[in-house]
Amino acid sequence: MSAYMQSDSARQIGRGLAGALLVAAIWELSARGLNLPAYVLPSVTSILGGLVNDAASLAKAARYTAAESFAGYVIGCLVGMAAAVLVTMIPAARSVVLPLATAINSVPVVAYSPLVLLWFGMGMASKIVMVAVAVSFTIFLSTIAGLDRVDRKSVDLIRSFGAGRLAVLWRLRLPTALPLIIAGMRVSTVRSVIVAIVTEMLGAYDGLGWIIYQAVLQIDFVKVWAAIIVASSISLTFFGAISFIERRYVFWR
Amino acid sequence: MTQGTMALSDEGSRGAAADATGLIDRLGFSSGKVTMSTNVKLEAVEPAVTGEGEKPLIELRNVSKTFGAVKALSDLEVSIRPGELVTVVGPSGCGKSTLFNILAGLEEPDPGNVLRLKGVSSTASDLLGKVSFMPQRDLLLPWRNVIDNAILALEIEGMPRSEARRQAMEMLPEFGLAGFEAQYPNQLSGGMRQRVALMRTFLFKRDLMLLDEPFGALDALTRTMMQRWLLDVWQKHKRTVLFITHDVDEAIFLGDRVLVMTARPGRIKLEQVVDLPRPRKADIVTSPEFIALKKTLLEAIEEESMKSFQVSGH
Repeated sequence: MSAYMQSDSARQIGRGLAGALLVAAIWELSARGLNLPAYVLPSVTSILGGLVNDAASLAKAARYTAAESFAGYVIGCLVGMAAAVLVTMIPAARSVVLPLATAINSVPVVAYSPLVLLWFGMGMASKIVMVAVAVSFTIFLSTIAGLDRVDRKSVDLIRSFGAGRLAVLWRLRLPTALPLIIAGMRVSTVRSVIVAIVTEMLGAYDGLGWIIYQAVLQIDFVKVWAAIIVASSISLTFFGAISFIERRYVFWR
Repeated sequence: MTQGTMALSDEGSRGAAADATGLIDRLGFSSGKVTMSTNVKLEAVEPAVTGEGEKPLIELRNVSKTFGAVKALSDLEVSIRPGELVTVVGPSGCGKSTLFNILAGLEEPDPGNVLRLKGVSSTASDLLGKVSFMPQRDLLLPWRNVIDNAILALEIEGMPRSEARRQAMEMLPEFGLAGFEAQYPNQLSGGMRQRVALMRTFLFKRDLMLLDEPFGALDALTRTMMQRWLLDVWQKHKRTVLFITHDVDEAIFLGDRVLVMTARPGRIKLEQVVDLPRPRKADIVTSPEFIALKKTLLEAIEEESMKSFQVSGH
């Protein structure tokens, strides 16, 4: 069965690569054939050239942005899950916190970034905070939804075995919630990179967002595209890693 | 005959194969043990029929339960002696499940009740963790494999996993699950899932086992096989069982006594001693004694079913 799944996912990756190559070919042909100026659409080959030329600074910026995203992501996941568990254990808190969280979550988090830059400065801290805030709300809401999915009868069963509230939480509610928690975590990977880059554009000392912003000011659109490609590959890798973990550990859905 | 059931069983090939091995085990086992079991069982049945002297394992008196305006149970009286297998039948909605929830400690009856476990007055919540309870659905945890599902109750009790797993591994063959310990519930047939749930209940060694329509969702063939198998396991382990069912045949085939409940509010309408010899073979269901018992019970249930239809106004 696992061999079948492997060949299946290998086929999917193959198709994805073929699609990407096709897009790149059409891109290259239209950029060259229509003689488009670089600020509209640079050719794929010139972007690849840009990637090689700026490899050192792009790699440094990529590490910077990846570190911010990952740190904020981990903090956000932990805070979101912990808050959801607390709210579920204290039913009174729920009716207060849940509408508030939904309201805050419905505003795009980047709207808060000028304030966060003001409070936490231009360095990594402000980006980590922004990512953590964005991720924690998503994880909070998906964890709550997951914890609510628990079957009343299953709770009764394990209570009849003498389980207390903590045992019910640990052995039943959290595993029941896991598929939704990890689905929230998967969606949050991409979100964490986006939020880090957007916040960098508003003020930073390094990072892919900062590179993009600087390159736009210098009218260096090849570099903008090179940074975008690096950012996309960080996002995709992150997303792929969490999807892999999801498939491996949430096998029962 | 084994071949026939195998072919007819609607379970997947793995499930059918395992059921068949289990059945062969069972058949071989019971036929070899017939004479001995009869003697053993006669001794056990005697006090159950005549002995008022033996102290009941659990005793309920004046137990009522009201949910808002609905009275689910009214002055229910039940007492079960150690080692008995008592079955409960009744029209749907008669409060059988409420009775079970009270005995499992999940719901408190209305005040004024008497509830004694081994002669000691208790509240329902005292019974939490004292009774091994098996609900209608198997409720296996999909993220745990067979062995880890079976040891759930032991783990909650605080037994180390390795010790619990060892105990469960020893029980696997008896439950027709040998070789399936590492499978996950979604890989098992309905009959096998039910046996894992039963094994979980058996491993949680408590004086009283509550089984709430454990075979209700199974097809007829698997169900009769499971009934015979349950009797074997029960006789070997000498546990006290209270067994809820909709099926009168099942109630008579399994039970030392059958309790018929009234339509809501539930009371015991009839207590019928089943003095059929044990071990019981499959063909006992066609014997005149069995038919006579069935007739009495069906009449009582019919009367109550009519009432519950009138009450609900359909």
